[in-house]
Parts: sequence; C-alpha cells; structure tokens
Amino acid sequence: MSETKKVESAGLMKYSTENLVPFGPIHPALKEPEYFKLVLEGEKIVEVIPRIGYVHRGLEKAAESRPWVQNMYMFERTCGICSFVHSLCYGQAVEGLTMYEVPKRAKYIRLIIAELERIHSHLLWVGLMGHWAGFETLFMWVWRDREIVLDIVEAISGNRVHKSMNAFCGVRRDMPENMEDRIVEKMKYLADRARYYREVIDTEETMLERTEKVGKVSADTAEKLCAVGPMARYVGIQHDVRLNAPYAAYDEVPFSIVTRNEGDVQGLLRLRLDELLVSTDLVTYAVKHLPEGPTRVKIPPIIPAGEHSSHCEAPRGEIFYYVKSTGGRTPDRVKSRQPTMANLPTALEMLKGQTIADVPIVLTAIDPCFGCMDRMSFLDTETNKTWTWSGEKLRQYGIKYYKERRT
Amino acid sequence: MSEVFLQRVESCAADAKSKVTQLRTHELLTEVEQEYVKQYVSKLWNDGITRRLSTITGLDLGQKIGIVYHFWQGKDVLHVRTTVPKTNAAAVSIVDIIPGAILYEMEIHDLFGVTFGGNPWMDKKLLLPESWPDDLPPPLLKTSKPSEIRKRLKLEVEGK
Repeated sequence: MSETKKVESAGLMKYSTENLVPFGPIHPALKEPEYFKLVLEGEKIVEVIPRIGYVHRGLEKAAESRPWVQNMYMFERTCGICSFVHSLCYGQAVEGLTMYEVPKRAKYIRLIIAELERIHSHLLWVGLMGHWAGFETLFMWVWRDREIVLDIVEAISGNRVHKSMNAFCGVRRDMPENMEDRIVEKMKYLADRARYYREVIDTEETMLERTEKVGKVSADTAEKLCAVGPMARYVGIQHDVRLNAPYAAYDEVPFSIVTRNEGDVQGLLRLRLDELLVSTDLVTYAVKHLPEGPTRVKIPPIIPAGEHSSHCEAPRGEIFYYVKSTGGRTPDRVKSRQPTMANLPTALEMLKGQTIADVPIVLTAIDPCFGCMDRMSFLDTETNKTWTWSGEKLRQYGIKYYKERRT
Repeated sequence: MSEVFLQRVESCAADAKSKVTQLRTHELLTEVEQEYVKQYVSKLWNDGITRRLSTITGLDLGQKIGIVYHFWQGKDVLHVRTTVPKTNAAAVSIVDIIPGAILYEMEIHDLFGVTFGGNPWMDKKLLLPESWPDDLPPPLLKTSKPSEIRKRLKLEVEGK
C-alpha cells in the first residue's frame, strides 16, 4: 500500500468511527418530545446537543391575556404528572403580592396532595426504570401499587391527574370525612412495598448490571450545571426546597431529606425509593395532625402591582415561578421554569461516555418526561446509510447487549 | 433575612456600583448596570455567597428589555436585574461562570431576541421552530401578537 493510501485509509477510519445519531423528537407514549443529537465514537457517546420546544405551547404569552385565577388552572396543565405543584407554586407567587394569609388547614391539605403526587410520580418512574432495564415484573408491580395513590387522590379531589385543588389563599375542597384511617393504612402498605422494592433493586442482578456505574456525574459538575432535586441529591448536594426554604406546612412537620453519594443510576433508584418512605411518613403525619378551621380566604380578582417569585419542590426538583403585576386583572409577566429544564445540562453530561445500549436507561433515570424513544435513526457517515430503530427495538438491543456481555 | 447573606450581597453590590433593595422579608433586588453584571455574578458565585441559580427571566419594559437572574440561598431569594436596549439587544453571557445558565440564555435569545456574547450556542434555536421568520418580532415582546405569529407560521386556515 502506498503512503498516500495509508494516510487516506487512516483518515477514513477516524471519520467512520464518528457517527451522528439523531435521537427523537416524537414519541406518542411519553409526555414530552425532545431531540438529542448524539455524536458517537464507535459506540461511545462523546457529545450531546439538545433541541427542545416541540411541545412549547406559549403558556407564558397566553398568561398575559388571561385573568389571574384562570392562569392557575392553565399552569396546572403544564405537566400531566406533577400538575398540583405548578398551581401551588404559581399560587404562592401571586399570594405574595396580596396581604392575605393562607389558612393553616389549607397549608396541610396542600402538603398532603403535594406528597401524594410525589409518591405517584416516583412510583411511575421506578416502574419505567424496570421496563427499560427489561425487568417487566417490577414495572407491573409498581404500577399496580401506583393505582392506590391515584385512588386516594381521586377520593380527595375528584380527579386522578389534574386535581384542581388550589385556589388563591387556600384550597377548593376540604378533605373528605373519615378518610384518615384509610390513608394511614394505605401509606403503611406503600411504605412496606417501597422497602421491598429497595431490597429488590439492591439484590436483583438485572437491575444492578444495568444501573451500577452508569450515568456518573460528580457533585461539583452537578452544582455548576444547576442540577435540582433528586439529580442534585444523588451526588450528595443538600438541595431540597422543602427543607431549605419551607413552604405550605413543611416548617411544621418533622422530616428529613435523603441524599446519596453513589452518583450513578443505581444511586438515583435508591434515593427515590428512600424518598417514598419520607413522603408516606409526611402524609401520615399531616393526616393525623390536620388542624381544624377554614380552608380558603376569598381574595379580589385584581392583584396589587409588584413582582414576586416562588419556588417549590416538585417530584423532579425545584420548580420556579416569577410573576409581575401592574395592578390589573391580568399578569404583566409570568415566568415558569420546570425542573427538567434545569436538569437538562446535567443529563447531557451523564450521557457522555455511555454506550447506545445505556441511552434508554440513562434518559429514563434523568426523568421520564423525556419523550423521543420511539424514533431513533442512525447515520453511518462512511456509507451515508441511515436506518431507524423503534423504542422497542432499542430496548431489546440494550437487553441483548448486556445479556451477551454476561456470557 | 439572614444578616450574613445581606451583608455579603451588599458588599458585592458596592463593588458593582449598585444598591440592594429589600422587597420582602426574604427577598432582595439588585439593579446592576450591564457592564458590571459579570463581575457581580462572578463574585456571588465564586465566593460561595449563593450557589443556586433558579433561572433567568426576560422582561419587556417598553423601551428596554430586562434580564433578571434569580438566585437563592436558604430562605433568601436574590433577584439581580439588568437592562439592555431593545434594538440590537446584546448582553454579556455568564456561561463561563455558571455553565448551567446556557439553556436559560438560549431561551431568552429565542423569546426576547437578546444575544448573549460568549454563549457558544447562540447560533442554535432552543424553543422556536427553525422556520421562524427573521423579520417577525420575538414572541414574548409585547408588540408581538399571537394572531400574527399564527398567520406567518401558516398555523391558521386562510379565510378564518
């Protein structure tokens, strides 16, 4: 082989190992379509470029032409999982501009619903992790248990997902009578199940193999990338708005937050299952110590001029709302920032150094709100050949990859 | 309000030739000139006065565009506000100090048309479609009308 050919061949080799994998954006089964450009070297991911906005509905613009109260129920529809915390955070931001106080009973009811929502969100996530790791039994069990929480939420609010419980300076519905014993009993059952699942993920080979040392991030990196909620706590950062800046009735109930130091997907699983125990304890305590009194104070539809911000701990991390009023019937500006947006830079960092087989599990570990698993197309830059894999094919590939590695 | 936090924020603000206003018990506001923003944020972040950036908000203030950085530490919240002119809106990026701010700056770039000098992804779109016409004003400006956007993006059936 001549010298020139050798050089060309070396260049080609370098070129052919760098593949670009467009990942996303549409997946009907998940909540948010998002798009990632994965740059690969062989099978390793070296760079990730995000592109979001496929379901950007312009809620902030829409809020400027709607009355204050109508916005509360519009912002509740931002998310289909943590809907309550959106209306709570927006409500708190607006309440800060008025001189009215939220009644104590309403604060406790807000805490109960927020924690029930966290339990349901965490259970949903643990189930999905089982699904993507090829552990279907875990998925079925966990989602069966999730129905218990949804039933309680429905009994309290009349709805499974969009509870519409919040009002300015209170809640719209009181707790139904004779619910205490039922909730306490169910919380005990769910806590037992969480302990059992914790044992399962600690001992089950399938889960350990797929999650240990996968998606590693250091505490320093996570802090610089502004990670929030579980994504900060799994690397040991004490980041929990419930504890750092208590809202609702969190300053009146005893609880402690969970942090871990593994900094991998396995650590995230342990963290969220441990958090389930904290949440079940919180709900039990709040139901037993629910104060008597009114549940709402009626306020005028015009909010005084000013600006105020509020932040709450959603199941996925800190959620932030900023409102600006000019003293009219509609807001001048509402800014909302969801935890997934804050966690996205950390997510991109977690993906670097992983293989394609790990993409589903790492993306699910970040947050199940990432839709896009179903349209993954591959591009080989050497032959310019493209092909597409469905989410199911990708899942099967991941399971097969690890099975072959085991033997 | 934590006295230590207030004092440290005030000392940083003095260096950046700005004043701190206490809006509420746990809420502070600092108005900073654009040229001092980077110095102020760098001091807040690197000295560990606050290591939590919630987000960056864009505001349409009529002749100008407001950019508000929301920090918090414990129970205390600190808003750092700066303004840039509406025409050829350009601000300085804080991505080299806080890498996590990259998407927040891209969001303001998309929705308010502010260019952040130093942000490596300013040439990319984050939220708006690639087909967004260049002559259409950014959507969150008060002059931008949803009906006009729908019409230009051909989201509305003609005649309706």
